[in-house]
Amino acid sequence: MAERDLLLRVSGLKQYFKINRRYTIKAVDGVSFEIVRGETYGLVGESGSGKSTIGRSLIRLYKPTSGEIEFNGSPISGPLGRDTKKMLRTKMQMIFQDPAASLNPRRKVMDLVAEGLDIHRLCPTAAAREEKVYGILQSVGLAREHAQRYPHQFSGGQKQRIGIARALVMNPDLIIADEAISALDVSIQAQVVNLMKDIQRKTGVAFLFISHDLSMVKYISDRIGVLHLGRLVETGDTQEIFKSPIHPYTRALLSAIPRPNPQTERDRVALRYDVHEAGIDYSHGVRRAVSPGHDVLATEEEFRRWTERVL
Amino acid sequence: MTFPTSSGKVNAVRGVDFDLYKGETFAVVGESGSGKSVTVKALMGLLDLNAAVIGTAAFTYEASGQETSCDLLGLSRREMRRKINGQHIAMVFQDPMTSLDPTMTIGNQLMEGMRLHYKIPRAQAYQEAVRLLKLVEIDEAEKRMKNYPHQLSGGMRQRVVIAIALSCKPDILICDEPTTALDVTIQAKILELIKDIQRTLRISVIYITHDMGVVAKVADFIAVMYAGKIIETGTAEEVFYDPRHPYTWGLLSAMPDLETSSARELYSIPGNPPNLLGDFRGDPFAPRNEFALKIDQRLEPPLFKITETHYAATWLLHEKAPRLSKMGLSALREDAML
Repeated sequence: MAERDLLLRVSGLKQYFKINRRYTIKAVDGVSFEIVRGETYGLVGESGSGKSTIGRSLIRLYKPTSGEIEFNGSPISGPLGRDTKKMLRTKMQMIFQDPAASLNPRRKVMDLVAEGLDIHRLCPTAAAREEKVYGILQSVGLAREHAQRYPHQFSGGQKQRIGIARALVMNPDLIIADEAISALDVSIQAQVVNLMKDIQRKTGVAFLFISHDLSMVKYISDRIGVLHLGRLVETGDTQEIFKSPIHPYTRALLSAIPRPNPQTERDRVALRYDVHEAGIDYSHGVRRAVSPGHDVLATEEEFRRWTERVL
Repeated sequence: MTFPTSSGKVNAVRGVDFDLYKGETFAVVGESGSGKSVTVKALMGLLDLNAAVIGTAAFTYEASGQETSCDLLGLSRREMRRKINGQHIAMVFQDPMTSLDPTMTIGNQLMEGMRLHYKIPRAQAYQEAVRLLKLVEIDEAEKRMKNYPHQLSGGMRQRVVIAIALSCKPDILICDEPTTALDVTIQAKILELIKDIQRTLRISVIYITHDMGVVAKVADFIAVMYAGKIIETGTAEEVFYDPRHPYTWGLLSAMPDLETSSARELYSIPGNPPNLLGDFRGDPFAPRNEFALKIDQRLEPPLFKITETHYAATWLLHEKAPRLSKMGLSALREDAML
């Protein structure tokens, strides 16, 4: 992992939400990870584990409570300067879960896709703007004539393609895909995932893929991070984590994935995991390397116990 | 079953036949718009009033000691509500937050059905409700009785919904995407729970889902629906290990499992699910089917019999069809598996 390839570095990110004077929700509590240019990093975890919050903090929909985020070499966690803001708003884009809700029903696809271009005044002439939109539409598998239609005239899969086109038109370095395919049908999910991989091959964009569908995350991600209760309990190379998970939560999570094979599936019982029963206090753990690039959150004693079991 | 809309009639379900026996688990699989949810809603009498339903659903149950039969589709709403819903057929919906009443305590919602249908005294209903909460593995059941839905987590809420569904001792439990809104860890627990309860109470379960992984875990029999028809049905083993319909191949191949290599492109079924507005000619899957034959454009295939339990609706099974069905399957499966 050469320094020059580093696209995003998150260290000690905390995102708290103050509910009232006595009660604060620690949605994200000290999370660190890196994303290299052109890779796909998958974030998995149960609902409420903070995976969506991380995505939203990165793109500054929230103001991070503390921690450092460095994107393209500039810090983006503190107050944003004019240039940094412009860089962040063009080079980092987001695809949302519900394609229908994220598109303004009263605007045509042409204007929806070009919205970012207009705001940042990236296309000087109307003709250039049109050409750019047509080109992007084509690259996401839509036709020129689709540009004059309204969102309701498209199917769910096509709407998500428009969402991807909106992100892609800014020529970003990082796209945050927050449950971007969960709302789609199985046969359409495969189409959209193939499209995302194809785009990545052509443009070298990096993806932060946030999802609870572990089979899909395994398929699309180069590296993954497992979140639980606002902490990154394990991170590393996808193949390695799926082959030899160390943290008990990761193990329970992976064992719960249903597999399309009735004979083995019927009698398989998922591992149970409960933080309190297991007696693990995440705040005592520190990141320990299992192997280069594969980290787990554990105390020294836990680390010894868990790695022994695997090796 | 058709629905009138402003732009014409929608043929949501176009002829569905299936049998469900006592103690069995039957899974209906299909994409959104394939008609799986409306089919079971018809059984429950929960359709909108403008729906036109043709057909019969013979249901045999025990009422006051004797065996009774009735046609579920022929009953009036009032009769359905008084005799069938809850008592004999109960339903678990997808989203536990919207199917629970936010203004009632868990306890009252649990007791409501029992007190209405069986007219049992409050104290007895209370005991029964606590017992049910324990059955679905909710800790501190007495304390939880006084809680409101928003005080529980998603998994606990779905457990409560299951407990309510079981409160009137139904013969059939219908689960409409019971775990789609939940995480995998909780999903696994809920599925195991339903299985245990099914074994102890000897009830039949109908699952509606699009997740083949879930189906593999729970189902005895599977029906794959597409465009309002069952296009393949059989035992779980038959459908998973020997699927015959190209759409079933596609469904099985489109989902990556843990063995799918990232280097390969995912198999995706081209195109979009069909619009069921109005009538159409031929096999509705033909435009998306790379194995489509000429006859698919003109005539809709009937269900071909493969074994006593296994049927599929595709012309590829006709004796005059080119013998590529097996080859097509293996090519697709290998594509997805290797």
